[in-house]
Amino acid sequence: MKVGLLVTCLVDMMRPSIGFAALKLLETAGCGVLVPASQTCCGQPGYNSGDREGARRLAAKLVEEFEACDYLVAPSGSCSGMVKTHYPELFADDPSMLARVAALAAKTYELTDFLVKVVKLEAVPGRFAGTVTYHDSCSGLREMGVKAQPRALLAKVPGIKLSEMNEAETCCGFGGTFSIKFGDISSRMADKKCQNIEDSQADAVVLGDLGCMLNIEGRLRRRGNERTKVLHVAELLAGETDEGAS
Amino acid sequence: MSSARDNILARVRAALGRQAADPAARSAAQVHMAAHPIGPRPALPEDLRARFLENALKLESSTDELATRKDIPVAVARYLDRLGVDRRAAGWPEFADLDWAAAGVDLAIRPTQGLDPVGVTGVYCAIAETGTLVVLAGSEAPSATLLLPDTHIAVLSAGRIVGSMEEAFALIRRERGQMPRAVNMISGPSRTGDIEQTIVLGAHGPFRVHLLILP
Amino acid sequence: MQIATMYFKDRAQLKLQDELLQYNLNKSKGKFVGKRAEAIRELDDFEATRDAAKSIRQRVLDNLDTWLEIFEENARARGTTVLWAETPDEVNRHVLDIAARHGLKKAIKSKSMVSEESALDHAIEAAGMKVVETDLGEYILQINDYEPPSHIIAPALHKSKEEVSALFAKVHGTAPKTGIQELCAEARAVLREHYLTGDLGITGANFLIAETGSVFLVTNEGNATLCTTLPKVHVAITGIEKVVPTLEEASTLLRLLTRSATGQSITNYVDILTGIKGAGEFHGAEHMYVILVDSGRSKVLASEVKEALRCIRCGACMNHCPVYQNIGGHSYGWVYPGPIGSVITPMFIGQEVAADLPNASTLCGSCASVCPVRIPLPELLRKHRETQVRLDLRPVGERLGLRLWTWLASRPALYAWATRLGVRVMKWLGGYEGRIHSLPLASGWTNGRDLPAPAGKTFRELYAARRRAGRQT
Repeated sequence: MKVGLLVTCLVDMMRPSIGFAALKLLETAGCGVLVPASQTCCGQPGYNSGDREGARRLAAKLVEEFEACDYLVAPSGSCSGMVKTHYPELFADDPSMLARVAALAAKTYELTDFLVKVVKLEAVPGRFAGTVTYHDSCSGLREMGVKAQPRALLAKVPGIKLSEMNEAETCCGFGGTFSIKFGDISSRMADKKCQNIEDSQADAVVLGDLGCMLNIEGRLRRRGNERTKVLHVAELLAGETDEGAS
Repeated sequence: MSSARDNILARVRAALGRQAADPAARSAAQVHMAAHPIGPRPALPEDLRARFLENALKLESSTDELATRKDIPVAVARYLDRLGVDRRAAGWPEFADLDWAAAGVDLAIRPTQGLDPVGVTGVYCAIAETGTLVVLAGSEAPSATLLLPDTHIAVLSAGRIVGSMEEAFALIRRERGQMPRAVNMISGPSRTGDIEQTIVLGAHGPFRVHLLILP
Repeated sequence: MQIATMYFKDRAQLKLQDELLQYNLNKSKGKFVGKRAEAIRELDDFEATRDAAKSIRQRVLDNLDTWLEIFEENARARGTTVLWAETPDEVNRHVLDIAARHGLKKAIKSKSMVSEESALDHAIEAAGMKVVETDLGEYILQINDYEPPSHIIAPALHKSKEEVSALFAKVHGTAPKTGIQELCAEARAVLREHYLTGDLGITGANFLIAETGSVFLVTNEGNATLCTTLPKVHVAITGIEKVVPTLEEASTLLRLLTRSATGQSITNYVDILTGIKGAGEFHGAEHMYVILVDSGRSKVLASEVKEALRCIRCGACMNHCPVYQNIGGHSYGWVYPGPIGSVITPMFIGQEVAADLPNASTLCGSCASVCPVRIPLPELLRKHRETQVRLDLRPVGERLGLRLWTWLASRPALYAWATRLGVRVMKWLGGYEGRIHSLPLASGWTNGRDLPAPAGKTFRELYAARRRAGRQT
């Protein structure tokens, strides 16, 4: 089984450890992992900003890079959602491209979804002594159906306790360029998310999308919260955190 | 000069990619309407009466079950006494034959004009799914009697309880042939949540809806 | 209504700082969301009901001209006069003509969002008539100098009982009331007088029933029932998209409308009005008019956002929108707030003046997940964004930024080099704390948040190094 890892541009730049954590999890599960070296961005920033042409260019490039793989897996609900649900719409008027896109979309997975549904991972390398709360990122939840999968995987981590926050499914306010164009509204939404995280008394908030992580961590620290860790679910499952691995 | 109607229809047709009315669409529409397709509905129990009563109570209507039609005046008196209001009401003509004097109730058979504290009306049918009363307006069924008084007393025969709204419409078609001027469906007392989403009864219509249920 | 969509950002900013409004919004949010979640469980198959509702609405839109003509014929057959209005002004002209024809003096009005589009109340007053809003929420706003509604089903949602109490005391000249019950009783007494003296009843229409030519109305207060029972003339004003083929199909839609809106299995009053009053009838309108309003709807039908016309105005999208929940309805600056407002407003008043609205969304999808007629709201907002790019309505900086990003991301070698440099600069900016407090080009971000600094090396360079090391050992 050849799995193509879509690292995502944000992980590539901002937090490479998530990419390595995803790699480790996939290898633990026995997958042969391919990381196409020319991958850059899935085109979502342009797509969500109305730049259809730019998005199509980057989408076509990504299809080229990944279509030979048996699966495309991304440690992001947002980027996998882009490929799975929005690429077909982008090429709706281009039958030859649409067929290729549809084939890729059919084998595209968000990381935790893939680990639970396809490779049925039994045990995870990570351990965590403490309480975590899980934030459901919007695209993962509503485009990729990611809800039970990360929780099922977290339950396999020795020492961990899950404490659900209120409104776990409410948007954190990131929304890509929205967070800069409408910074005040976005910050307020992040602030409410942070309040719910703090109220859950968790030692760490865990989630599956780096954009939301940056937003939540940035707001937590600005609020003066230095205590609550912000972890990608892959980091925690792979043991790629300060807590160490087994 | 073209009329607003022609201009609007022309724009709608342009949006739909046609120049003129489409006879095929028209006949398909007629077929569709004649079929009265019914969508998904919540399942209902065998005992519609029980479900109706359960839902009517949830809507904060109160109920009283009577043995015969002759018991209506006494039941009205009993209810008004319990409320502590005068035994005075305006009612629909269908109740003129009952012995109101014996029950000590002053029932005026006339449409209310706003001053009557209590209105007594009949009901065309009722809907079990939601606990709703269906009232059809007519010369013998003045609508305001169920709206303006503080208290609305409605008389319903249990045999007129149907399952769903769709069944109520089928009944109207079967018995009346066409829609009356007004079908008023009432599900409990008038209410509002417009101040802080806090529900208060008696917004503009009755504060109380009391149901007298005949077998 | 006065258009204020171009001030979206400033208004939203003010609303974020308005502590009382924040309190009121928070309070109502919990009630709407929780009650809806409970109510939809009563339906054995909520998702199948949504599918049915979607196809009912879509069927009409796919042959809207046909259904409008059928409605018109059947309404006429029962003595209803059907009028058509291309613009908001034409709506007002029709109403004033009707009032003049029948010598009417006082309009009692049940809530109609379509009439807000044309500021009908102002037109009626300018013509020397009296108009009274009878929905409690709308009444509160009317006596507060025609404050605009902030929600399509709970227009005064942004107001606390203390604000209403102060307003009633001032306008009614009564002692201030403390309880909500007492406030409602006071409004009831004032409005009762108007019900008994109004000679023109104005309503909207939740649905128009094609097969019977009926106007279908839902309220909890019973105000639409009174407005269509007591006055001698009834005018229903509604958009051309509101037609539903049959009463049975309206029943399906009603199951979703009330549950999605307020979490009720049914509203207290459902009124189906068909024509003028019959022989011997004491109550009911002697003259009934239906005004079918275009005002941009045919333009929506011809556009990429046509699915928005399926809307049955339940308000669930705004109740579940995290942006709406934080800034309230007034920020949006026109009649329809929230996600559905951000889709239809640019079509009704122009993309240029409403440019912010489709962009002021995280596209989180919460709205689409609750919409009873499955309008793909985030997709439609994105369509508007594409239109804005096509029409060159986006700021130069944004356009250049996106173009540069696409250009760079299409060139992997250059991209690798640029990001390698970029992350080093950002790590340096983050200092020993590892976070950036201020970025001039992204002040929208850093005004309210830190930006966690990157690790300093990209995944691709670390991965390449690891592969090299792997080969050496």
